[in-house]
Amino acid sequence: MYLVPDDEELAIASAAAEYLADAMPIDRLHAANPADLKDDVRNALGDMGWYALALPEADGGSGLSAIEHALFFREVGRQCGPVEVMAQCLAAMTVADADLRAQITSGAVGVSLAIVDGDSLRLLGSPAARYALQVTRNEACLLDLQGAQVSAKSSLDLALSMAVVPAGCPVVATRAGDHVWMMGQLATAAQLVGISEASLEQIVEYAKVRETFGKKIGSWQAVRHPCADMAVRLEAARSQLWYAATAIKEGSLDAGVHLDAAKHQANVAALANTDSNIQLHGGIGVTDEHHAHLYMKHSLVLAKLFGGRREILARLLHAELED
Amino acid sequence: MDLQYSEQDREFRAKARAWLSANVPAEARPAHGHASATFDRDWQRKLYDHGWAGVSWPKEFGGLGLSGLQQVLWYEELARARAPHYINTTYVAMMHAGPTLIARGTDEQKAFHLPRILSGESLWCQGFSEPNAGSDLASLKTRGVVDGDDIVVTGAKMWTTDAQHGDYQELLIRTDPDSQRHKGLTWVICDMKTPGIDIKPIRTMLGDEHINTVFYDEVRIPIANVVGEIGQGWSTALATLSFERGLGFIGDQLELYERVGRAVDLAGKLRFDDGTLAIDDSAIAQKLASLKSDAMAIRAMTLADIAETDRTGQPGPKGSMMKLLVTNTHKALSEVVGEMMGWDFLEFNGDRSAHPWTYDFLWSWIFSISGGTNEIQRENIADRVLSLPRAR
Repeated sequence: MYLVPDDEELAIASAAAEYLADAMPIDRLHAANPADLKDDVRNALGDMGWYALALPEADGGSGLSAIEHALFFREVGRQCGPVEVMAQCLAAMTVADADLRAQITSGAVGVSLAIVDGDSLRLLGSPAARYALQVTRNEACLLDLQGAQVSAKSSLDLALSMAVVPAGCPVVATRAGDHVWMMGQLATAAQLVGISEASLEQIVEYAKVRETFGKKIGSWQAVRHPCADMAVRLEAARSQLWYAATAIKEGSLDAGVHLDAAKHQANVAALANTDSNIQLHGGIGVTDEHHAHLYMKHSLVLAKLFGGRREILARLLHAELED
Repeated sequence: MDLQYSEQDREFRAKARAWLSANVPAEARPAHGHASATFDRDWQRKLYDHGWAGVSWPKEFGGLGLSGLQQVLWYEELARARAPHYINTTYVAMMHAGPTLIARGTDEQKAFHLPRILSGESLWCQGFSEPNAGSDLASLKTRGVVDGDDIVVTGAKMWTTDAQHGDYQELLIRTDPDSQRHKGLTWVICDMKTPGIDIKPIRTMLGDEHINTVFYDEVRIPIANVVGEIGQGWSTALATLSFERGLGFIGDQLELYERVGRAVDLAGKLRFDDGTLAIDDSAIAQKLASLKSDAMAIRAMTLADIAETDRTGQPGPKGSMMKLLVTNTHKALSEVVGEMMGWDFLEFNGDRSAHPWTYDFLWSWIFSISGGTNEIQRENIADRVLSLPRAR
């Protein structure tokens, strides 16, 4: 039993961190038209093989596990990465046709995420995406958006575009079962953990340099104690994330229960840590030029994906664990 | 990362489960007084006689020398079997004094005390905190003057749990009258039957008298009872506290999941005045489910920490984080149960087995203050995990 990333796993995480900090740094969200995955970045990520990380080798992937998948998406979260990075990965797991799968893993075509919203589908991601991926606990479907009536909506989250499209887009691929859902839930929880970490690191760095009343603010208990609470929430969410990822890798029968708990912990940690990060920065925390609000806004989107609070708690209440 | 238990781990769990299911006492632990201490001694003696005493102690001192992970399995099985709780009158002896003597004691001290602790013959209490000192342990004033082969102790200790049952005490005193703070302190074994010791119970809000003020009036303690060196007591005391902050609350961390399960079962039976089943109340159902995920996360954190400690041989810095999470979750769980139990929750006579949820609700404050208050744990995290500028 070893529930902390080992050296090989850490090497993947640090390679991902370096690459993503360069390819999609969070600073991009302060430039003009920052939303979504741009064509060149989508292609570059494909060239590096990031969409095929947890895809079996027989399907043209790297054959790595849910653990590396989680480690990668934690880093995506730290940069408030576009939601299409996840859609692209999950679509590759959904498609059986080798040619279409290769187009997706290479980044030649774009995939956005589709969520049922009343009688319509809500699209998250680039309006230029050719496909949209719709995932439930029983099935994943890749929809063709060509010719669809897409109506753009405004988006609170600067990292993504939103639109709605009437239901009934043609289905080009399906995969039954809960594998894609679980990998999506894991990726979302991991991104929220990344945001929780980045938020804590940001306020801790600030608390070490910023002075008020003649002292560093990090020496005041009014700042120290909320920071400690942020660290505790993060540690709980991160530990449960590793547990869930490992349970999926090992095919534990109760992996889904651990995953639900991981998503709930990640939702709570990200929403609370992004809140504290803004508050403890004082006035600068509410300015547009600061990252703090970017983390908060992106968390609000991710917290609703792959299991929002009510849905997860309803399932968890009577869920059973193995020994 | 992996979740695999080894074959030995699985065998150990099965063996522990089988033994506990056959040997856990059927009768409830008496709530108070001499009878409760006798119950604890008997249970410890039974563990000892059957080779289950001292799961964290090295084999050479009579313990089981278990890995961290096997200790986890042991405490999980204790919780599952609803065995007598390990935080009882044997706690200080088993979790503080024994490990401290193993780390810092002389051969004579080990030979005399360790078997008595393991077998339940000796109960210990802790004498660190003092009136007016609170969490500021280094400000203690109880003085010890070396006189021949003895140290003569005068002063007072506060919040001493189970002093009235203790055979011995881990006593921290100031032996250099001119010293400041953590210098000039000495850690001694105090025999609680020594003349000059006066124990005054402090009644808690639970209605019981498990904590005490202990007064020392020229109490003569042999120098041979010094653990570590005279003047180096702070270092010995930190060793004592590190045992508590490492695995000292591991059982509570692992038991939480069981407790949430019991609360969910209870919610499936209790009805409000309007006939609504508590579990069908969405606010209560959501709180319980959220607490279940907290308990799972605490277990994951415990396992990760223990796996890391087993591998590196060094305890991680997570003890304070886990204690804070456990105490907060413990309290939140009591509050939900209190809401669904209605008036029954307000019936209380101080007996834990008769009113377990109310007792645990009141206990949650003791838990979040003893062994380092939640505020002190936050300070530890700010210093040691986040490296924020020092507040003091």
